[in-house]
Amino acid sequence: MAEEQAIVAFLDRHCMECHDEQTSEGDLNLLDLAFAPDDAANRARWVRVHDRISSGEMPPPEKADGLTKEDRAKLVHLLGGELHVADRTEIEVKGRGPLRRLTRVEYENRLRDLLAMPHLDIRDKLPEDRDSHGFTKVSRMLDLSRVQLEAWLNAAEAALLAATAVSDAPVPPTSWRFTGTDLFPGLETFGERQAMFFAKEDRMVPIDGNRFKEMTPEERRDPELEMALFRSATWPYYGYPRGFRAPHDGAYHVRFSGRAVRQLNEFRLVPATESVAMSFRSRQPSGPDVSGDVRETGGWMDLGAEPKVFETTIRLKKGETFEYSPLGLPVPFIRTDGGFFYSFPPMPPDGHPGIAIQWLEVAGPVVEGEWPPASHRVLYDDLPLTKGGVTSGNPAVDVPRLLRRFVERAAVAPVPEEVIAGYEARIHEQLAAGATFAEAMRHGYGAFLSSGHFVFLTEPKRDAHAIAARLSHFLTGTAPDETLRRLANEGRASEPDVLRAEVSRLIGDDRFDRFVVDFTDQWLNLRRLRRDQSDDRLYPEYRRDDYLVGSMEKETRAFFTAMVKENLPVTTLVDSDFTYVNDRLARHYGLPPVEGSTMRRVALPEASPYGGIMTQASVLKITSNGTTTSPVVRGVWTMEKILGSPPPPPPKSIPAIEPDIRGATTVRELLAKHTEVKSCAACHAHFDPVGFALENFDIMGAWRDDYRGMEKGEKVTGIDRAGHPYTYYISQPVDPSGELLDGSKFGNVRELKAILRNEPRLLARNLVHHLALYATDSPVRFADRPEVEAILDRTADQGYRVRDLIEELVVSELFAGLRSEQ
Amino acid sequence: MNSMKSPHIASTALDRRRFLRGAGVTLALPWLEGMRALFAKETTEPPQRMLLISNNLGVLPWHFFPKGAGPDYVASPYLELLAPFRKDFSVFSGLSHPNVTGGHSTENCFLTAAMDPTGSGFRNTISLDQFAVERLGQQTRFPSLNLGVNIDKANRSLSWTRDGVLLPAEDKPSALFRRMFVQGTPAEVEGQLRRLRERGSVLDTIASDMKGFQKQLGSGDRSRLDQYLTSVRELEDRLHTAGEWEQKPKPSTTETEPEDITDPARFFDKFSLMLEMARLAFESDSTRIVTLMVDGFATPAFQISAEEKSLNDYHNLSHHGQSKEKIAQLERVDRRQMEVLRTHLERLSNRSEEGSRLLDRTMVLYGSNLGDANVHNTDNLPVLLAGGGFRHGQHLAYDGIRNVPLCNLFVSMLQRMNVETDSFGSGRTTLTGLEAG
Repeated sequence: MAEEQAIVAFLDRHCMECHDEQTSEGDLNLLDLAFAPDDAANRARWVRVHDRISSGEMPPPEKADGLTKEDRAKLVHLLGGELHVADRTEIEVKGRGPLRRLTRVEYENRLRDLLAMPHLDIRDKLPEDRDSHGFTKVSRMLDLSRVQLEAWLNAAEAALLAATAVSDAPVPPTSWRFTGTDLFPGLETFGERQAMFFAKEDRMVPIDGNRFKEMTPEERRDPELEMALFRSATWPYYGYPRGFRAPHDGAYHVRFSGRAVRQLNEFRLVPATESVAMSFRSRQPSGPDVSGDVRETGGWMDLGAEPKVFETTIRLKKGETFEYSPLGLPVPFIRTDGGFFYSFPPMPPDGHPGIAIQWLEVAGPVVEGEWPPASHRVLYDDLPLTKGGVTSGNPAVDVPRLLRRFVERAAVAPVPEEVIAGYEARIHEQLAAGATFAEAMRHGYGAFLSSGHFVFLTEPKRDAHAIAARLSHFLTGTAPDETLRRLANEGRASEPDVLRAEVSRLIGDDRFDRFVVDFTDQWLNLRRLRRDQSDDRLYPEYRRDDYLVGSMEKETRAFFTAMVKENLPVTTLVDSDFTYVNDRLARHYGLPPVEGSTMRRVALPEASPYGGIMTQASVLKITSNGTTTSPVVRGVWTMEKILGSPPPPPPKSIPAIEPDIRGATTVRELLAKHTEVKSCAACHAHFDPVGFALENFDIMGAWRDDYRGMEKGEKVTGIDRAGHPYTYYISQPVDPSGELLDGSKFGNVRELKAILRNEPRLLARNLVHHLALYATDSPVRFADRPEVEAILDRTADQGYRVRDLIEELVVSELFAGLRSEQ
Repeated sequence: MNSMKSPHIASTALDRRRFLRGAGVTLALPWLEGMRALFAKETTEPPQRMLLISNNLGVLPWHFFPKGAGPDYVASPYLELLAPFRKDFSVFSGLSHPNVTGGHSTENCFLTAAMDPTGSGFRNTISLDQFAVERLGQQTRFPSLNLGVNIDKANRSLSWTRDGVLLPAEDKPSALFRRMFVQGTPAEVEGQLRRLRERGSVLDTIASDMKGFQKQLGSGDRSRLDQYLTSVRELEDRLHTAGEWEQKPKPSTTETEPEDITDPARFFDKFSLMLEMARLAFESDSTRIVTLMVDGFATPAFQISAEEKSLNDYHNLSHHGQSKEKIAQLERVDRRQMEVLRTHLERLSNRSEEGSRLLDRTMVLYGSNLGDANVHNTDNLPVLLAGGGFRHGQHLAYDGIRNVPLCNLFVSMLQRMNVETDSFGSGRTTLTGLEAG
């Protein structure tokens, strides 16, 4: 074939010097590599060859003497054409990816929606999904085993049981009221007296064990006593209302009166000048040592200087209790330097910030909505519910009616009648064998929820039901809702105008938040935000600052939500003149103070290095290891997640550089040695420069001009949030300058951002790749490239706005697939 | 081990009292092979077992870790006590669970490696034993057994489900004995069988449905469906096996039911007795996977020897704060522990099964979630692994500053159990340097 000969001739002339059997540079021996693009593995290798030639990287400039631009373009065209045809043919036959199963997140969402149980907690019963570059939705990785199937059966059984009402009336709620010393489990907590005491008229009331014994019950519950707390809920700590344990699983309503205070010398209280945020933590009442789950519950509440009544709903399991969890306060921890003792951190000039609680009430379990609950009615409709459970006077009618109704809601595509009949027969079989009506129905339901009709999603191949399912799983993480289902039934879910309207509608849906969370978890790897704790030796100020970490997570989610909902240009990935902060994050970013824990949009000063996802604290934390930062890690991360063209994996034989935490050598100097080797330098030049610009951000994303070390430099000492003395050294200044491969130079991160802002198409292409992977469960492949460029062309005029990109992706061939050739 | 009630279970010709009493006599146990043939599924592979022990207060690190690495290491004072078995165990340093911090609360993560057990949003995850059970299925009557010494039952266990539910540990030897050797009532058996039948019926339903599903699919999708149908078949096999176990009579024994020791001060007697129960479980092939949580934290002032009682409760003692008196006493506690362990290794090495020492088919992991209980350190955990057919006799020393994940050792152990996996918890590979013998 003429094309093939032309390709061979080109390679002979320009490539063989380095890539024949003797040289095989970069492990590529072209004499050994057949041209057989129908084979997927072979095609993948040729795609790499194509891309290196196309980018001008190969042949390297010093070897490309007699190679004209035209020749290069011609070859790229020829080779690309062959590869495209081969890849496209395979898609036509097989689709872009195989049938895939639901992820654990999707399975939970589907059950929550189907059973009308928004708090159903089932995902951890399922094995963790394997991931590929952070993505857990990749079809290729979502294989299925006995362990998976058994987990589905168990999860479905547990969910159906929880959905079923077993009595004609709900458990009657109980009420508790706590005042005085009942507000706390003991008379003190870990961290010395400054951490917690009881107060009356703004002065501490000293109550020790002996005094407590003498007190009458009335004195102990004295409503004039306040419980004043000045520490956060970190180990060791337990701070739950005295004696409370949830008698049943469920929601509990909590009301309490509280205010923010400052503690001055001699345990005097004065009104706070800034609000203090708090939440609750549900957990076993197991004392300081934690057993079982610890869950933040009830949301963040801001206590102000004036006492105010707060109301919230918390979720508890039977036997659990809940504790006060003030956010951002000291975290006293035992000191072992000279015995065992606690020392509360020194008092700031304005006093210790804290909270004071006047009273607290709990009532529950709360029945949300009517009885029997909506979940019960999904399964048994309005069949009579007696003390012993649900009954049917006429199973011959009720079984088929309820089952069909259920299957129709549960499945993403119509289920053939003979399939339903199979499940129906089983239910009757169970009834005949002596099962109760509810047991028999659950038997059928449970089987269906583990069947392929529920757990599998298929490549659409332009089928309206499959397109609708792909769209709903993309933007709401669940099955199509009623509207989308109707459109699918009418065969209209593949029409571009309908799809565009549906994209808009779903972005406005409450469940769109699931997309934001799940997509940022996978794309930005946000689910690994808490992987590394900060190193207390070098960064004592971050010691167990859960409030800061929680705030940075909220910032990124809020920012990405805005990018989609407000249809912002893709360049906001690298730069923006606004971001989302609360009091803690504003302080972290060195912005003018704001009050309260709620995230709100603020304008960034002109000179701020922040703005854009690339320099958000969450991202900068994920790309550090808690002790040090590495330009390599941050550079590679930025290439992969923000700019595209991720570098190949590092060679196995070369160890990663180990930053010097003594402070004698900067990471830049270490890297310079590392990249003296030419083969290392070639790759590192791709990503190190971007990483250098980010070196001005510390392990938590705060600005720094200098590195810190353990031994060398200017000594810094103090007492940290735990009351421990610390010493570290300001070692060397950060050099954030660098030069990109194309020769453009920057002196700092602001200048780098200015360069990247001018590359919107590059940024948009990369985002489309990630969105397409998430939406279609398969990476963008060679034959998809023209379609991606078409999406970019259609959105270019408006500056590649994010919502436009999503919309164009959804109406593209990538999303709807090719009509099956079979 | 002198606290035995009179026999109440039908005797066979074999007197097993002697070994349960720990006479330390080397003898092959023909009944053991007989019992295996009767009650275990026939396998070509020799059975592999594991006993996973954690003392949640650990040991004094400087007396535990040896000097020098490799086979020529110089035994530490504690390891000197295990000298007769030097070739039968490996000792490790520089192992820990990354980001499993939070003092005593880390005890629930020893076999799970779940991060930050005191932080908001914590949920425990599947433990090593349950992971193995999940992959191996029911090879024996009990897929696994969880044992405890002085355990706070509601809150402490080494064994956890994937969704963070504690699987309680049994602290009564008599109850374990009855579970292993005393038949269930017909009603109990029938109840279990009914559960299995129901699950079987669910599998029937989806299997026949999915066979029809296949017709609608293209070739690329069929392999996925094959995975599904294979999974159904494997689950059916497991139900079948579970049903067989329910109906099979339990092994009979001449052994007498041990008397429970209720006094928590008899810590070491309880520890020894529980190790004996583990060995009995292995010998009768009642299970091949045992966890044993030694809850030092919940142990009040206790007898270190017949003559000496600890100055304080064990937890308080562990916070020695450099007190010479406390350290001296802790050292005696740790030494006694090593002796208990040595006796256990002796017994396992004295039993033979199909010509092999039971020890060579039993991995005994001993370790702690605390590297130094005095200051609640959770890195550089003291860990040793005996038996199981590895090439032992060495000190595998890893970096004391940048520890290697303890889960790498767990991956090696899982592979030894014939579990096909190259990752578990924070482990992404086997432990470098530990090889099969």
